[in-house]
Amino acid sequence: MGSAHSVPAEMRELADRTGFTSEQIEHLHRRFKQLSQDQLTIRKENFDSIPDLEFNPIRGKIVHAFFDKRNLRQESDGLADEINFEDFLTIMSYFRPIEMNMDEEQLDRFRKEKLKFLFHMYDSDHDGKITLQEYRNVVEELLSGNPHLEKESARSIADGAMMEAASICVGQMGPDQVYEGITFEDFLKMWQGIDIETKMHVRFLNMETIAHCY
Amino acid sequence: MFLLLPFDSLVVNLLGISITVLFTLLLVFIIVPAIFGVSFGIRKVYMKTLLKIFQWATLRIERGAKEKNHPLYKPYVNGIIAKEPTSLEEEIKEIRRSGSGKALDTPEFELSDIFYFCRKGIETIMDDEVTKRFSAEELESWNLLSRTNYNFQYISLRLTVLWGLGVLIRYCFLLPLRIALAFTGISLLVTGTTVVGYLPNGRCKEFLSKHVHLMCYRICVRALTAIITYHDRENRPRNGGICVANHTSPIDVIILASDGYYAMVGQIHGGLMGVIQRAMVKACPHVWFERSEVKDRHLVAKRLTEHVQDKSKLPILIFPEGTCINNTSVMMFKKGSFEIGATVYPVAIKYDPQFGDAFWNSSKYGMVTYLLRMMTSWAIVCSVWYLPPMTRQPKEDAVQFANRVKSAIARQGGLVDLLWDGGLKREKVKDTFKEEQQKLYSKMIVGNHEDRSRS
Repeated sequence: MGSAHSVPAEMRELADRTGFTSEQIEHLHRRFKQLSQDQLTIRKENFDSIPDLEFNPIRGKIVHAFFDKRNLRQESDGLADEINFEDFLTIMSYFRPIEMNMDEEQLDRFRKEKLKFLFHMYDSDHDGKITLQEYRNVVEELLSGNPHLEKESARSIADGAMMEAASICVGQMGPDQVYEGITFEDFLKMWQGIDIETKMHVRFLNMETIAHCY
Repeated sequence: MFLLLPFDSLVVNLLGISITVLFTLLLVFIIVPAIFGVSFGIRKVYMKTLLKIFQWATLRIERGAKEKNHPLYKPYVNGIIAKEPTSLEEEIKEIRRSGSGKALDTPEFELSDIFYFCRKGIETIMDDEVTKRFSAEELESWNLLSRTNYNFQYISLRLTVLWGLGVLIRYCFLLPLRIALAFTGISLLVTGTTVVGYLPNGRCKEFLSKHVHLMCYRICVRALTAIITYHDRENRPRNGGICVANHTSPIDVIILASDGYYAMVGQIHGGLMGVIQRAMVKACPHVWFERSEVKDRHLVAKRLTEHVQDKSKLPILIFPEGTCINNTSVMMFKKGSFEIGATVYPVAIKYDPQFGDAFWNSSKYGMVTYLLRMMTSWAIVCSVWYLPPMTRQPKEDAVQFANRVKSAIARQGGLVDLLWDGGLKREKVKDTFKEEQQKLYSKMIVGNHEDRSRS
């Protein structure tokens, strides 16, 4: 609808790399400009301007995920201070829905990427393992909305869940065995056979399927 | 008084001529092709012309708005992402159910719970209430229906005239035409099936029954000016199978049944619907239930199983969502039809809202109002995709199978695969709900944990 515009080369390159369509990239670019207040980069403070995000219990972790270099497909580790539009798109591409024309290998890679994103969210010290303390941390954050909740309850819930995870990954453990933490392979094992792709995506309203009508 | 006579006879003559013309048009261009299943392509030409007019109208509105330097309301794009106010409990239950398959009555914290909050968070970052409503960019095309126009103040004189012309055409020309066609279609269906019902059972009866059904549905399709594109017709349902589709409006039945011969399933109604249902079942075995029988799930399942196992009987047409959804998403499928064990043929139906919104919001409009709205729109344009058949795998239970079929349909139709029950459509979700979500979640986890540790 409306005016046709030529797609600049960089846009096409971005589209290829992240898998979004040019229309979606345009929308996201507008959103980026709004968040960054017309600057070229976004900092953590810019996310404060989103009112709905306040209510989300894992707000901190989500914002953190945007600046986590492991998610930005850079070989380095650690935290970035600010991100540009390309990085913004890269993070968003983890929540892309699966497409019709993906083959087995692509689907598998896609799934691994999404799970890796989640894994990084849990593993806050970047050591490649989700330890009991990190797990507790996440549970506490998720339950932080309830002011009456004591720390002990949150802790025991996390412990219980962690033991369950251990039993899936390692099987029966001896009494003096210590479960160090969930590695990424264990994490993948826990999600085997479970269809997470349709739960972990944000869907763009698009008119593409309308075009098929005629 | 005598002076009026010549004028009267003139009026009567004109009326007589126009009615004759109308009926000849009807017969030649619409009913005869419907009987033989051919198409002149008139509807496609009509659609293309309409599109051009819509584009012109849109540009005028845009120009009007730009002159006044106001942002425009975009009716079709509510923000850039499809967000639905899902209930936290429902969604987390679903995530867990499709995950580890743990018992639902003792929810405790699971790794998968984070999906919900993560996704919600990313959604708000991508788009929130602020950016949603107004955009100074291109407007989606306006289709000259006042019910879809939110930018009234930018309509120029020329556009108003065009709109007025549109109203005239729709209400004075198209509407009577369509009502006449619908009437013809329904009465032909009732009489045709009753007549065929008197024949002895055999191939002749089947052949006639099939063609009577198809013909009448095709007439009804033209009565709505429905322009349907069928994809992958080689996957059409066969005998002994169940055809499953997403549900947007009662018209879905007509759309599917005009391209294939199905056995319908449903509750017997009174009134006109009841007459039609009773007539149809004389010609071929549809599965109608009395109101009391509908509640008895075992009875329903038994009758459906019997029907499916008889290979000479037609494929059953079922809409598992149980209610009409607004065609941007696919809600939870009720598992009943998936427990029967027959081959499932999924079908995805997607409507184009540009020419007429086919969604039936049963809490807002009654059936008659809805049909009138349909008949006074320009056209109903939709696409139907026949997906390859699916069967239940040995390790799957009915719910997982239902979800698999649902995902396939959602993916093909470009619809959002939602996890919540369509029954929630009637409730309104408020903003304070969001704040309660966290408290609810923690209560859910902690409450149950305490119960367990006590027992």
